[in-house]
Amino acid sequence: MELDFSIVLRFADALAYGLWLTIRLTLICIITGGALGFLLALARRSKNRLLRGASTVYVEFFRGTPVLIQLFWIFFCLPIILGVELSSFVSGVIALTLYTAAITSETFRSSLGTVSREQIDACVALGLPARVQVTSVVLPQALLRAMPTLLSNTISLFKESSLVSAVGMADLMFVGQNISNNTARPVEMLTAVALIYFAVAFPLTRAVSVLEGRILRKLAA
Amino acid sequence: MDYSLDLGAVTRNFGPLLEGLWVTIQLTLAANVIGLVLGFVIALLVMSRVALIRVPATAFVEFFRCTPAIVQIVWFFYCVPMLFNIYLGSMTMGIVALGLNLAAFNGEAYRAAIQSVPREHRDAAVALGLSPLQSTLHIILPTAFRLAIPVLLTNGIVIFQQSALVAIVAVPDLMYEAKSLATKTYRPIETFTIVALVYFAVSFPISQLVGWLERRRSVAMA
Repeated sequence: MELDFSIVLRFADALAYGLWLTIRLTLICIITGGALGFLLALARRSKNRLLRGASTVYVEFFRGTPVLIQLFWIFFCLPIILGVELSSFVSGVIALTLYTAAITSETFRSSLGTVSREQIDACVALGLPARVQVTSVVLPQALLRAMPTLLSNTISLFKESSLVSAVGMADLMFVGQNISNNTARPVEMLTAVALIYFAVAFPLTRAVSVLEGRILRKLAA
Repeated sequence: MDYSLDLGAVTRNFGPLLEGLWVTIQLTLAANVIGLVLGFVIALLVMSRVALIRVPATAFVEFFRCTPAIVQIVWFFYCVPMLFNIYLGSMTMGIVALGLNLAAFNGEAYRAAIQSVPREHRDAAVALGLSPLQSTLHIILPTAFRLAIPVLLTNGIVIFQQSALVAIVAVPDLMYEAKSLATKTYRPIETFTIVALVYFAVSFPISQLVGWLERRRSVAMA
């Protein structure tokens, strides 16, 4: 068969639109999911047994089931339960936020573990209230140490977000598949889509390695 | 909410779900066989001193790690038959697509493990006059495999979950059966909840096993 990659250029605008949705989803959900993940990580280290148990079940459940079924659940079941229509963008954001929260909470949990006991003791000795202790002492250090892994989580989320195409959101994957079906040019279109994902994700993975080295050196100094 | 739960819709249709689960398990096991074997070969190729071997192997790994699995699977199902004029049956295609993806991730796990095989072991292999093949098979592989087990198991569970993606290209796995059951019975809540619990019931014990292995190792190392 003859390949004609110039067809990809004809649909550059549509692909750019899809990529923009993918990027927006990724950025929104890493922020909302990261925030929820941090709270979950705190809950998992709490002295309250109920809080600890509930957060552990949450994390294990979202890590132990396919993201696809989580998406389907939010898209098809949540509107029935809540009794309101949710736009597909909102549903997508909810599903990916809940999933990202479970993933990033593990990242924060291991970075929280590196904040030494003495620092917490110092907070107590200085009479800092618990809220200040978290926002001014624990969070900045945990965030710095978690940075490289958080960036890796973002790259994973960028890839996982392609699943929203299965519920009809017009992200990069959906647009690419749609064009490939309509033009009967799957080889050119799907290869182009794969290369676009690669072109975004690969430089970011390199950045993670560089960042990791920098932070390790900074913490060692 | 004026929607009354009816678990009967799912329990009456357990047959297709069980068949779907069986397909999912077959996909996972077969993909893991490919991933475990090919992953080790890829790790060796990535660490080769010959650039002509190392560069393509690295490109393979990076490509599979930096693109979404769903893109890989859809690409495989649409493009391989067109490009190479072969069609292998949807089950085989699913297994190969998932297996190649897993091989890339396992390759990285093996590479990290091989690099942590003590230098002295390799020196000892040379001193004993073992051929490169012998020292790879009898010294490096067993040690690296043992070191890599937790990550290999974790990757194996991830593939179990990723296998749900083949539902999109109409392989009748657990996810696919769930989708058609939910549509047929208009019972999305019951179906998707129960199927999610089935996935969880398989992956949770294995992830607990990984945690246990890691704790045991950190005690042994201390």
